[in-house]
Amino acid sequence: MTPRSTGRARFLVAPAAIVLAAGLFGLASPGFLSLDNGLSMAGQIWILALLAVGQMFAIAARGFDISVGAVAALSGTLGAMAANAVGLPGLLVAVPVGLACGTVNGWLIGRARFQPIVATLGTLLAVKGLALLVSDDGQVVPLEEAARAAGLSFDAVAGLPPLGWAALAAVGLAHVVLRHMLVGRRILMLGSNPEAVALVGAVPWRIEMSAYQLCGAFAGLAGALMTARAGAGLPTEGAGMELQSIAAAVIGGTMLAGGRANVWAVLAGATFVQVVLTGLNLSGVSPFIAQIAVGAVIIASGLMDAGLRSFLTRLSRLSPPKGTFR
Amino acid sequence: MRTKRLPDTPGLPGRRGLPRLARPPAVALVCLGLFLLCCAFVPRFASFGNIENVLRVASILCVVACGQAVVILLGGIEFSFGASAALASVVTVTALPALGPVGGLAAGGASVIAIGAVNGFLVGRLALPPVIVTLGTLMMASGAAAWLVGGLPIDAPPSAAFSWPARGRVLGVPVPILAALLACAALHLMLAHGRIGRLWYHVGANPVAARLAGLDVTRITTLGYAVAGAFCAVGAIILTSRVASGQPALAPNLPFETIAACAIGGLPLSGGRGRVSQVVFGVLTVAMLNNAVVLINLPVAWQLVLLGLAVLAAVGLQKDWAALARLARRRGR
Repeated sequence: MTPRSTGRARFLVAPAAIVLAAGLFGLASPGFLSLDNGLSMAGQIWILALLAVGQMFAIAARGFDISVGAVAALSGTLGAMAANAVGLPGLLVAVPVGLACGTVNGWLIGRARFQPIVATLGTLLAVKGLALLVSDDGQVVPLEEAARAAGLSFDAVAGLPPLGWAALAAVGLAHVVLRHMLVGRRILMLGSNPEAVALVGAVPWRIEMSAYQLCGAFAGLAGALMTARAGAGLPTEGAGMELQSIAAAVIGGTMLAGGRANVWAVLAGATFVQVVLTGLNLSGVSPFIAQIAVGAVIIASGLMDAGLRSFLTRLSRLSPPKGTFR
Repeated sequence: MRTKRLPDTPGLPGRRGLPRLARPPAVALVCLGLFLLCCAFVPRFASFGNIENVLRVASILCVVACGQAVVILLGGIEFSFGASAALASVVTVTALPALGPVGGLAAGGASVIAIGAVNGFLVGRLALPPVIVTLGTLMMASGAAAWLVGGLPIDAPPSAAFSWPARGRVLGVPVPILAALLACAALHLMLAHGRIGRLWYHVGANPVAARLAGLDVTRITTLGYAVAGAFCAVGAIILTSRVASGQPALAPNLPFETIAACAIGGLPLSGGRGRVSQVVFGVLTVAMLNNAVVLINLPVAWQLVLLGLAVLAAVGLQKDWAALARLARRRGR
């Protein structure tokens, strides 16, 4: 086992990367380090942050969820329909929808022993198709109370828009779940040693399922936020979000081999991705180049994980793990 | 760990009495059943024109799925095919004025192979998870494709050589179908009779054991992903020729459809097992499903839903069969 002090180093990568990137972009474009830009970014990061925190649960349990983008799109669209039927609180329907998708993923992976990539690929396709079907082949579903939703998601109260505060609260809740509640501890335990979970009398597949349920619920929440910000349910949105969420979670120190995660570091990872996107945008770089940069960030996050892993294990004088893992 | 049955392994104890003729994969039955169902219930399915159309679509998918199969044999997964095909089409059309149709198509194909080799190097040398690597290169390739043409598709000047890969015929057989047959034959030769195929099976079944046995896992993996890229390059050339333009959003579902075809064909995504015939029947199943959805006049989104459900069902059934086989063996003992 790595000692506690070296084990924590992985969670400091994301904050360090933010400082570095912000400094570089500050040099490139003077407007970047202004308070206005900071506040605007603080309002923007939450969709990605919620997806990344959900993804963190899946990765901590040694898995992946590549369906989060599609789940966010479906739940956001259904949330918009519900909001039009019963008023703005109906948007929260997105959460149970996401939870349901997460439950399907979790059951397939935990109980039926599908590989995470296969199960979530299957649900990705099915959910993407469903989102198109419920919305009449990809028509956006405009919110009737779009003005109120925009007020909630853009007008800052004490620095953050109200929905930003709500998302921050959800992230805090995730922290409590991961650090202080049994299910969170068990998810980490499952990630670092699946046999141990069975030995202490817990049911491994239930734990694994709850990781994907958390992931799905957070994706649903992100879908609701997406709908509120856009003023409409966007059934075709969300492609590429799964990549960004994986990148943010991994830069945030979540170990790809499972078992180590920190919610605040993941939040920092999401912030880093947003810093890169906004910074490139302000520097006048084409959005297509920004897309290339995000791709590079994803691969870099994988390299960082592999590098940290071998560095930290060498530090604690264990032979580096051999072979590949999935 | 189950013992992996390697093809072309004569002299294994206890297997000597088995006939050498390959047994058709289980998916062949599913495929045949679906074909009969479609013939019986889908209007206009069983016409010569439609069957040729299905085969034409299936042939592109089949070429690319052969590449996906190599990656899956290696225990990996390849998401960047769609984006690299789009990049290939854009590169082709951009290079067309300078290099001519043949040179342009070759440049496009080379870019796909290069992306595959990079993927293979990152996966094989640095032991990164294939999902992360190929999703990352997906992002980069599609960003690069959009950047090259400013996000909008550009048309290619029509020429006979340029449209030959999609519309030409050799002895009456459409070129795409011929390409699919050649791709399957090439993959079969590599997997069943070639040294490199044997090495891929070894690495896919157990990379640690392969390394301990002294194999150069990095080189084998890189070569595997590059060969996969070459298959995808052939598919990309046919696609580019068919749309006759550089499309930055060409074939976004290509990786999903090829993975689905391999999964439906019965290739375990853990790697180390699989035959060409499985890929072929998987591809035919996917192509028929897509075609039937269009002919029944369902919304096209059903293609995605059915594809997803088919993947889950196929993998689930495989698992059950494996469990049943284990149970039967235990009974027999």
